[in-house]
Amino acid sequence: MNWDGLDLSILLPACLAGLIVLATHVPLGTRVLARGIIFIDLAIAQIAALGVILAQFLGMDEHGFGVQIAAGVAALLGAALLSATDKRWPDFQEPLIGTLFVLAATGGILLLANNPHGGEHLKDLLVGQILWVSPGQLWTAAIASAVLLAVIAWRSGKLAGFSFYAVFALAITISVQLIGVYLVFASLIVPALATVGMHGRQRLVAAYTIGIVGYVSGLVLSAILDLPSGAMIVWTLAICGVLAQLLPTVRRSHPARSANVGIARNDA
Amino acid sequence: MRKMLLWMIVVTFAISSPVQAKLRVFACEPEWGSLLAELAGDAITVDVATSALQDVHVVEARPSLIAKMRQADLLVCSGAQLEIGWLPQLLMQAGNAKVSSGAGNFMAASQVMTLEKPASVDRSAGDVHPDGNPHVQLDPYRVLAISKALAARLAELDAANAATYQQRLGDFEARWQAAIKVWEAKAAPLKGKAVVVHHSSWIYLLQWLGMHEIGSLEPKPGVPPTSAHLSSLVDVTKSGAAIAIISAAYQDSKPGEWLSGRTGVPALVLPFTVGGDDQARDLFGLYDSTLDKLLGVLK
Repeated sequence: MNWDGLDLSILLPACLAGLIVLATHVPLGTRVLARGIIFIDLAIAQIAALGVILAQFLGMDEHGFGVQIAAGVAALLGAALLSATDKRWPDFQEPLIGTLFVLAATGGILLLANNPHGGEHLKDLLVGQILWVSPGQLWTAAIASAVLLAVIAWRSGKLAGFSFYAVFALAITISVQLIGVYLVFASLIVPALATVGMHGRQRLVAAYTIGIVGYVSGLVLSAILDLPSGAMIVWTLAICGVLAQLLPTVRRSHPARSANVGIARNDA
Repeated sequence: MRKMLLWMIVVTFAISSPVQAKLRVFACEPEWGSLLAELAGDAITVDVATSALQDVHVVEARPSLIAKMRQADLLVCSGAQLEIGWLPQLLMQAGNAKVSSGAGNFMAASQVMTLEKPASVDRSAGDVHPDGNPHVQLDPYRVLAISKALAARLAELDAANAATYQQRLGDFEARWQAAIKVWEAKAAPLKGKAVVVHHSSWIYLLQWLGMHEIGSLEPKPGVPPTSAHLSSLVDVTKSGAAIAIISAAYQDSKPGEWLSGRTGVPALVLPFTVGGDDQARDLFGLYDSTLDKLLGVLK
């Protein structure tokens, strides 16, 4: 037990980072799940990292805004590629995403073979740590997420093809640097998966609640148990997702039926 | 959510500990935690951020690290950019002006002359530290110099206990000097012997013992080996008559074992810092264990 870490001024910035990420990832997660392309976030994050490595390889300054532009451009290019393959070979989208992921990851290793410092930056980009967020990062992420949320709300039902992949790519590029790839995956998939049988506004409310309770309890537990915060939150998110199944509203849709709903949407 | 936050505030206030009169020290590595225990005993409270089984280049963020850094009156780290991957962020997050610079900021490597300080920093040379090699804890003379500087710093920050620090430093110095004599006598057979290292973190130990490094598993510090490098390393290890392939307790033992399997030269895991094995319970044990293990391969 360790009560020192239970300090609001330590946990609040991390908590805000989590809420900012949840804001865009919960609605995007329901779409990712419906399309059955759950590993797309890993692929996009890896492509963004590859973009940064390439920029450094070509002599760009390793700090500063240029790196963010490089990450964003690479992620958008990846998004364009994935939306093209989605159109051309919709049945093979998931294996194509997987292949793209390993290509981007190993491409980074090949480019960095002679540059250990680049390796550190690759890690920074993929393993953002939620406790290290700075106020500056929070503001940028909050504004960018608000813009993306507006686009999601505006396109609502019609968020498909390149517009979906582009919004998704930018959201992931922001969130991965803020909280790391494990937490991004969990924020995206767990709330959506736990509420897979629900619909519309009700589902969003339930998914947001699971996400928020997961983040807050994870941060508090990581402080009390003195464990790494990011990994702890992944577990509390999953536990909240399972506990939510005890509620009649969430459970009402029979598990077997909810699985069918997921598949039916995927086919649609 | 608001209720939750309120609850968190209530709990935070309810359990915050009373103001402590004792000096609180945040040590980045266990060797400095051990040195602080020698110099101050229970006159201070020490929080050690990392363990011997952890790569100090990378540290997972935990809320308690920030909390401890906030309460600290003195920060004791290796410095020379060893902790560059996490210490600046931790300091920024903690916002504790007492330790971010000035008297509350004690960097061990800055107290001594470092080796391998490059004339110019060129990233093509690998993960080199511009302030020299930061792994100074395995040269007993440098540790002695650091202990004197650290005792002076403790006395400066906590004048009430200055006499205690001075007296404990004298006691430590006497025991340490005596131990150095024993170690040097014991380690005489190691003089002139060659080793292959995992990472360039043994330079101070090897220089002290008069040993030399004939190869490194990493072609450049921090760069993973390529097949061409490994094949030349097999030849160097055999022809250079290396007595051991040494790696630290926190490092992956596979590369060393791989090379050992191909050359017949034993792979040796050394504690590297306090806590690295059962014997290395303090600084004295660290040196005892390191020398015993190195001498063990000569038999």
